[in-house]
Amino acid sequence: MSIGVYYFGAVSLILIGLYAVLVKKNLLKILVGLSIMETGVNLLLISIGYIAGRSAPILSEGVGPNNAVDPIPQALVLTAIVIGVATTALALTVAINLYETYKTLNIEELRRLRG
Amino acid sequence: MVMKRALAILTILLIGYWIALALSHVPFGADKMLVGQYYLNHVKAQTGAVNAVTAVVVNYRGFDTLGEVTVLFIASTGVAALLWRKKRKRTAKTEGSVVLTTGSRLLFPFIVLFGGYIFIHGHLTPGGGFPGGATIATAFLMLYLAFSVYEIPHKGFEITEGLAGMGYVTVGLIGLAIGSYFLFDWIWQSWGWGHSNIGRLFSAGFIPVIYTIIGIKVGTELSGIVDSMVKEGGE
Amino acid sequence: MNLQFASLLIALPLISAFFVPVIKTISRKAVMPFLVIITAVQTGIAAWVFEEVYTGGKPIIIMAGGFKPPVGINLYIGHFAALFVLIIAVAGFFMAVFSMKSIGVEPKDKYAMLFLLLMLGATGMISTGDIFNLFVFMEITAISAYALTAYNKTGEASEGAMKYIVLGGIGSSFFLVGIALIYGSLGTLNMAQIAQLAGNINPTVAQAALALLVFGLAVEAELFPLNAWAPDAYQAAPHPVTAMFSAFVVKAGLYAMVRIIYLLRDTQAFTGILRLVLILGTITVVIGELSALRQTNVKRMFAYSSIAQVGFMAVGFSLGTQAGASAGVFHMVNHAIVKALMFLAVGYVALELGGTSIEDFKGLGKKMPLTAFAITVGAISIIGIPMFNVFWSKIQLILAALKVGKTGVIALILGASLVEAVYYIRLIHTMWFESANGEKVKENFTLGVIMLLLVALIIVIGVFPNAAWNIAQKAAADLYNVSQYIKNVPLLPGVSP
Repeated sequence: MSIGVYYFGAVSLILIGLYAVLVKKNLLKILVGLSIMETGVNLLLISIGYIAGRSAPILSEGVGPNNAVDPIPQALVLTAIVIGVATTALALTVAINLYETYKTLNIEELRRLRG
Repeated sequence: MVMKRALAILTILLIGYWIALALSHVPFGADKMLVGQYYLNHVKAQTGAVNAVTAVVVNYRGFDTLGEVTVLFIASTGVAALLWRKKRKRTAKTEGSVVLTTGSRLLFPFIVLFGGYIFIHGHLTPGGGFPGGATIATAFLMLYLAFSVYEIPHKGFEITEGLAGMGYVTVGLIGLAIGSYFLFDWIWQSWGWGHSNIGRLFSAGFIPVIYTIIGIKVGTELSGIVDSMVKEGGE
Repeated sequence: MNLQFASLLIALPLISAFFVPVIKTISRKAVMPFLVIITAVQTGIAAWVFEEVYTGGKPIIIMAGGFKPPVGINLYIGHFAALFVLIIAVAGFFMAVFSMKSIGVEPKDKYAMLFLLLMLGATGMISTGDIFNLFVFMEITAISAYALTAYNKTGEASEGAMKYIVLGGIGSSFFLVGIALIYGSLGTLNMAQIAQLAGNINPTVAQAALALLVFGLAVEAELFPLNAWAPDAYQAAPHPVTAMFSAFVVKAGLYAMVRIIYLLRDTQAFTGILRLVLILGTITVVIGELSALRQTNVKRMFAYSSIAQVGFMAVGFSLGTQAGASAGVFHMVNHAIVKALMFLAVGYVALELGGTSIEDFKGLGKKMPLTAFAITVGAISIIGIPMFNVFWSKIQLILAALKVGKTGVIALILGASLVEAVYYIRLIHTMWFESANGEKVKENFTLGVIMLLLVALIIVIGVFPNAAWNIAQKAAADLYNVSQYIKNVPLLPGVSP
């Protein structure tokens, strides 16, 4: 089994993010973990679209249809990034509200306060 | 605690091994294009854009982009809804230094201009409405950082945001009326404007139009999110 | 009339949501009536689409930008989508009316926008024909659901929303990895073309991709173990939103999951993944029902009951037969009607009496007879008493399980119904036979009409199930018969390997 270094990096980022989400106690760290996961997924998508030896899919100055990389994953990543930003913004807002109510962002404390 | 951590690591390694196993059958760097090759072959003739990614984003996968704009709109609406308090104001205490305030004033128009440049040239160069809009929002963020009392004009921004969104859908609906398909590129395909201009600014049908709308929308939206988050609620 | 006008189903809620800020500056009071009007118009369009699809017998293929699939994104409004788009629109309309009365927390204009976008997301999820577009619509649904869950800004609401966001975030990342694997193998994102080429995917890749996609969608479909957010979110969300979650948001997630599993039927992973869904569905039912039994808060109890019912649907679909799919779809329809009614009624009780704990329901039969009657009919129906609609879908589930010889499923359904009987009859007893002080409430006329309409629907389907069963069967055939699905989508010749 051999996978490229980009795949390896992407999968590692996903796993690091997942680890933070599963293990960390601080809500903000969990959200950072989610963002890291998203970054890993985006890197994975981009790597899947890469074709060895070809350049960016902007068809001018000598780049023709046969020496450009796949444009679709790049378009998908653009969408995925924006969605990630939206999720993060909303998650942080909810975290602000949680903090204003309970004065803590530690999930164990939160659970204890809820009872 | 140690147990939980060990369990988490074990799970993660298993998932990782399993994804990697699958990925080893999706060779890195090989030509796996099917629809992608079609886009590369036909992008210039069908959309007039030189940047294939932009054409995919705005033309071929227009629904995704409409959804993407919607997602950002939801985020800004949601943030504003959740941070809604009767009185919210800025609580920054120290004014920025002279260098900071003068510098920001000087830089502000240029950053906005650069943002505009990015989204207007989306069909020619890397970039487009989203990076352009984000750049514009940075300009406003800078003002928030430099001045302790600065606030964006909320009403105007909110309405601009809504109107820009409506503008996008309207462009799509005009396509439905003229070309009988939603999000049909009527400027390029029905009117045939700019066919001799491929590779220059006035080409690529409705891509620059839509990207301008998106740029304005994203700029106002992200500024709105910044505004909601910077201010603190006083009960 | 040009069938492409069905794209208004997407365009209308979207443009209306963008229009709300403008309306707000004219008059803040106009926002909620505007929401009601738009959902009514949406219902009209959905009814037209439903009519076209069911009389014409052919799906409507909407091609965005005029590009044929797989080059452009297409919407596929077949029998299933037409039916559910209508359910979404009707449920949305009822809940918009309910929102006029029940939403007191500001800012209402933002609420109206999020409401419309939640409807839009679910509509898109059910009708899209492109797997990445499905992801986008799923995120639209999810993010507006996060915001609406936290809308009341109480501690519980924020906590429920936070659980939802974290689980949803993990789910969407896994879903995207699944998409990446499929795209890397086939080079296409169109669902019909994926189904056509599914046999070419390497078995290892197919297995991982399917599992990741199912895992990602399980958050929205509320399947164990990713449904931990659901009870908290259901309880803390504004009442109309809870009703919408149960009536169509969860169904959209489940539909997407089932659609993807069936599309990849030609892969070797198919039977394995069905078994996985069967197991997850069974656990969902068991945990849902047993947790419902312990609840003292009626809204939370209904939430667990709703989760358990979704488990039934998943079990039905995982039988892997046409009969199982039909039963699953039929149960989806019935459950949407019943739960819309019950969450509406519970929300109304909370509004008038100030809470949803079991104490508030004591003597409800005297205080709010119409609402109590509605809850009673809903409860009896969910238990599966003959002459009420859910009875028929449970029977169909049992028959489908019998055909494939899965006696365990039959035992599950009967056992779960028994548990349901225990907690629902307890509730009915509390409402009608326990006395409590408190004045009789003058019940709202409009809400009364809506509740009676839904009650009538429950009884009509219960007494004459054939018409509804036929519709459900057609919808299920659309879902189950993949080769027909591929034929229906006009794939551009020349874009194939």
